[in-house]
Amino acid sequence: MEYVPDEITLLRFGAVTRNAHRIHYDTAFARSEGLDGPVVMAQLHGCLFHRAAAAYAGETGEVLSVGWQNRAPAYAGDRLVVSGVVESVDEETGHITLALEEHRFPDGEGPGTLCCRGHAVVAVRSSDAQSSK
Amino acid sequence: MTGALLEPAEKRARAEIGRVERRSLGTVSADAAAEFARAAGETSPRLVDPAHPAFTVHPMYLVSLLRGAPGADPEEYRPDGMYRDEVPGTDGLDVRLMAGGQDVRFLGEARPGERIEVRRVLESVERKGKGAGFLLLTVVKTYASERGPLAEVTERFIVR
Repeated sequence: MEYVPDEITLLRFGAVTRNAHRIHYDTAFARSEGLDGPVVMAQLHGCLFHRAAAAYAGETGEVLSVGWQNRAPAYAGDRLVVSGVVESVDEETGHITLALEEHRFPDGEGPGTLCCRGHAVVAVRSSDAQSSK
Repeated sequence: MTGALLEPAEKRARAEIGRVERRSLGTVSADAAAEFARAAGETSPRLVDPAHPAFTVHPMYLVSLLRGAPGADPEEYRPDGMYRDEVPGTDGLDVRLMAGGQDVRFLGEARPGERIEVRRVLESVERKGKGAGFLLLTVVKTYASERGPLAEVTERFIVR
């Protein structure tokens, strides 16, 4: 799952979530806080983890929970890639726990930097489960 | 400069541990939820088109809303743009705030037109790192409509 949130994306996301924190749109302020520029919101990282989990669960599946920890900032214009593996399967419920990571690729390619690490639990109700990049 | 302010922030935050706060987040708007989904990069009509027969509010919408109420006065915001009580104990202090992550458990689906209330409890305050270090605040939130709870969230904030 990939996404490239630019400055416009961040402004739209901030507006609709009532997030006026200047580190997300004010470059000078973000730099005064030791950042390289406007940073991606934690909640947007969470949305990307949710989307990756939902893609794995398929149309008839369901995301039961999602969690993430921020490890390093991601910036407007970064290519963000969420990848994951199946960590465990609950034998009783069949619920699948996914271990997820998000990396940022400032120049689009390269080795990438870990931004977030987390997990999701999904219920897969048919053979919809997709392989996750 | 901000390191010296961690002490009052820690003292204030510790005094708030266990205190239950409730706040209305207002009414769920299908248009706002769809705009949220678009900004999050979604393309499914189920999430971005309120006129779609199977439209649903993006599950991450509610838990992504910050506390600043629509129509809040300018003085209700800190100079860094954060709502004054977004992070417990930091109102009026020149400290740096960062989100640390969330754990979200989905319990139900929010529906357009529903009024939403969030219940928040500061669960713990920890001093981390070397020297002055930083504070790690953990809050637990429950989002609910009249139908019952919709999501439970454990959220972490970093205060430097």
